[in-house]
Formats: sequence, C-alpha cells, structure tokens
Amino acid sequence: MNGTLALFRRVFANSWRGLIGWIVGLSGALLLYLPLYSSFGADGEFEAIIDSLPEGLVNTLGYDQLGTGAGYAQGTFFGLIGFVLLTIAVVGWGTSAIASDEENGQLELTLAHAVSRGRVLVERTAAIVVKLAIIGVVVVGLTWALNEPSDLGMEPMHIVAGTVTMLGLTMLSASASLGVGAMTGSRTWSIGAGAGIAVVGYVLTAVGNQSEDLEWLHRFSPYSWAWDENPLAVGADWGSLGLLYGLSLVLLVAGWLVFRRRDVAI
Amino acid sequence: MTPTTPAAIDSRGLTKHYGSTVALDRVDFQVPTGTVFGVIGPNGAGKTTTMRLLLDIIRPTSGEVSVLGADPRSGGPSLRRRIGFLPGELHLGGRGSGRELLRHYARISGGVPADRIEQLGDRLGVDLSRPVRKLSKGNKQKVGLIQAFMHEPELLVLDEPTSGLDPLVQQEFLTMVREAKAAGQTVFLSSHVLSEVQQAADEVAILRDGRIATIATVKQLRETAVRHVRVVVAEEDAGALAATLSASPGISAIGQSPLGPAEGESEFTATIDAHVDDFVKALAQHPIIDLAIEEPELEESVMRYYDGSDAPRPTDDDEEDAR
Repeated sequence: MNGTLALFRRVFANSWRGLIGWIVGLSGALLLYLPLYSSFGADGEFEAIIDSLPEGLVNTLGYDQLGTGAGYAQGTFFGLIGFVLLTIAVVGWGTSAIASDEENGQLELTLAHAVSRGRVLVERTAAIVVKLAIIGVVVVGLTWALNEPSDLGMEPMHIVAGTVTMLGLTMLSASASLGVGAMTGSRTWSIGAGAGIAVVGYVLTAVGNQSEDLEWLHRFSPYSWAWDENPLAVGADWGSLGLLYGLSLVLLVAGWLVFRRRDVAI
Repeated sequence: MTPTTPAAIDSRGLTKHYGSTVALDRVDFQVPTGTVFGVIGPNGAGKTTTMRLLLDIIRPTSGEVSVLGADPRSGGPSLRRRIGFLPGELHLGGRGSGRELLRHYARISGGVPADRIEQLGDRLGVDLSRPVRKLSKGNKQKVGLIQAFMHEPELLVLDEPTSGLDPLVQQEFLTMVREAKAAGQTVFLSSHVLSEVQQAADEVAILRDGRIATIATVKQLRETAVRHVRVVVAEEDAGALAATLSASPGISAIGQSPLGPAEGESEFTATIDAHVDDFVKALAQHPIIDLAIEEPELEESVMRYYDGSDAPRPTDDDEEDAR
C-alpha cells in the first residue's frame, strides 16, 4: 500500500461531503447577491438607498463603495457573506486538524504510527489549502460567469485578485486555528484564535471607518489589509497579500515549533 | 534472556511530572527481547504514562528509556514503524469503515500483507465493513488490536488490551500474544488486574503511585501469594492443633469455628504464605479429618502492593539488586 500523502488523503476521505456543502452554500450566496446588482444597482438606485442610510451605519458596514460593481461584490459577498461563511469553514477545519483530533483522543494513535508531527501538520495544512483552492476556483468561475449578465463590470484578473485576497484573509484564520491548536491542543483556544482574528479584524475596520481620527486602527486589522486597496476594483495588492499569507505561514511555523516539542493528549 | 541480547525496552530513572503531579518517579525496568512483560497497577499508577513515553507521545521530565535500541525522541517514525501500539483509551473516528481506517494506518506503517487485515478481522470476529463509529466498545477494541498487530512489529505496546473483550476473544488475544512471542516479538502489556496478564506474561511489574513496587515472575508471585486453608480435626485434638499452628512460621489469620462441620469436630481457617511444606509437616503430627488448601490468591497478594501495606518480598534474592 502506498503511504504517500496518507494523512492528506484521509482528510478528504472524511470531509469531502462537508466541502461540497460549503461550495453549495458559497455558490448560493454568489447566485443570490451578484445578479441583484443589475436589477437596481447599476442605474444608481443603490446609491440613493445608501445616501438615505445614516452615515455611521454605512461606514460600519463598509457600504460606501456599494455603487460600483466591484464595491458591490466586495460589500455583499467577498467582504461579507463569503468571508463569514469561509471563516466559519476554515476555523472548523483548522480546529479539527490538530486540536479536536487531540481532544477526542485520535491524534495519540496517529502519532504512535510511523509519522512525524511535522508531517501531520504539513499534510493537514495542505488539505486546507487545497480545499480553499478548490473553493477559489469555483468562486472565480461563478463570479466571472455572473460578471457580465449582472453588469458588475469587473476585470477578470481583478476577480482573481479579489478571490485570492478573500482566501488569504480566511487562510489567516485557518492558520491561527491550526497554529494555536498545534501549540495548545485545546479546541477552545483553537476556535478562539481563528474566529478571534477574523472578528477583531472586522471590528477594528468598522471602528476605524467611523472617523479619520480612528483610521489608524486599520493598520492592525487583517480585514483592512485585505480590502482597503480594493483588489476587486484595481487588482492585486501584493503588499497586503504578502502580509496575509506571510503571517499565516508565521503562525503555522510557530505552531509546529511548539507542537514538535510538547506532550500530546495529556 | 541471555545477557548478550539487548533489552527491547530499557528504562533508567524514567520520571514524568505533570506540573506538580509526579506521574512516574525514577522507574527502572528492562524488558528482554522476545519476552512478554506485564505491568499492572491501579488507575493513576503510571502505566499509561510509561507507554506514552515509549511512543514519544509525551517526553520524560528526566531519566532515559531505550526502545529497540533507540531513544523514542530521536528514533522518530522509523522507530515507531517497528512498534504496534494500542492506547488505553481507544478512540476511533472518521466516517469510513473499520477496513478503511485500518488501511489508512497500514499505508502509514507500511509492510502490511494484503490479506492480513481480513485474516485478523476474521480471527477476532469483527465486521470490518461497518462504520467504525458505530462499532461497540469491544469491536472497536478488536479494530485497535488489529492495527497494533497487523504490521507484525518487533515490539507490541498494549495498554489494557483485553478491556471490553468477551472471554472467548480474550482467549484468542492471549493466543495471539503467545504466537507473537514464538515469532520473536516482544510484548509489553498492562492491566488493572493480574489475572489478565498472568497467563501470558513472563515477568510482571507492579506499579503504584508512579513507582515500581516490585518486578517478579508470575511463579515468584505465586510463591509469595497467600493461600487460604481449612483444617478439620476432632474436638479433642483442637487445642493441640491450635498450639502447633500458632507456633509454625508463615501462618496467620488463624480462626477457629465454634461449631465444626459435624458433631464433635472442630474447624480451623488460616492463611499461609510460601511455607506450605512447614505447614503440612506441622499438621502431620495431628489426626486430620479434612484439609483444604486453596489456589493461591495472586490477586490478593498483588493488592497488598497496591495499597502499600507490607507485602512479602519475592523469593528471588537478586530482586533487591535489580531495583
């Protein structure tokens, strides 16, 4: 029997149903939101609605860009529903990779076999990356397909940039869950880290939107790193992507450094 | 057990602390290659901790242990490939069947013959096509045993292997252990109670509060074990017998029933230790109506180690040096 990527394949054997569920959910959200833009967004109706809302609410939700196709796609899906759904998915995956597996007692038996802890972490991280990549392909494809009929007017490469940015933002949550799970073996800490980084980032951005005096908060918000440069409108911002993916890598390496030294399942 | 054969497990001063709790305190033992070594003790004695240290799931606070000639820490995956492990608290999960789970572990371990999983499944009587999550505790335990045995490892580390198994499967398991020994494999297994290991083990270590209370062969434990005896004599001989019994070595807990089994008879009960010969010869001075010496209560003698009360030393004089 071939042992190549046995742990990676095991993740898919156990969770492909879940992955399909998330793809269906995300596709549904795209199909629900994006076509709405053509019906009343493109002719300025949206801007009228936004203008009628209190300014603080509009800033909190980041809806000030909603009048453009890219701004609408970001404000509804990429920066909101898609981001929330994907964050929930990756925090679950990141937590189950080490912490849940350890708490329910199964990691002990896996580690008693001929695998190193590094290999467990790498293969299970790779499984999450591949799942995100599959989702990314679906999101890019579906958004590209809806782009013209919905009058969103986005460049195809900008759709790719926006998707890779959303994936980077959620990869950061995944890595926080994975890394902290690898460090602590605690499900609670693992979920808290992944969800916390997403929530804190979103809140910092929302508060930072309230006034120019508070805008500095954006510097500490991964959510702002991702969206402040409007990748769906202007294309990839390599600095932001470097920050999101780089910090993800740092969290994973930190997790590995502790994981390889600590006691498991005590 | 020749001195030239390196020990499969060699633990020296092995110590493990969890915070301020001492789980294992300077534990020394050697498991000779090709033998079956049992470790027994109450919950929390350190059995599971010892086994996890062997598999590098946890790391010692101090002391060292060598497993198949290697340090578990540096031996890594290639060392663990040579070990089969059954955890004390077995949790098997995932969506797949028992067969899929076992194939997964076989892919990691390598070297599992194609039909080996099915053979072991048939032998232990577990339906490997059923989802592993839905298996009963006993059937999960069988799947756990299969993953430990299937790659025919040089060393089997089995934490309470018979827990949840019905008596027939327990017997089958003991046969598997004997076969493993005959094939040159070393087996290190644990239990709460001696009866589960005494049929299979060459040597037994009794662990209590993280320390080794004693290491002995089952034969040595048997020799030190208490035997309950019952003697019936005629009423007129009772006084003389009572005097003899209380003067003999190794006889304790002497009791005399006021009423014998029949009119004019008197019944004595007592416990004796290894001095069976002395006891029988002392009795021979008296006319005996009935005599019963029960099988030694090994469990009872082990319990004395558990609770820390004064336990008899095994008769092996080298024992003290070995510790």
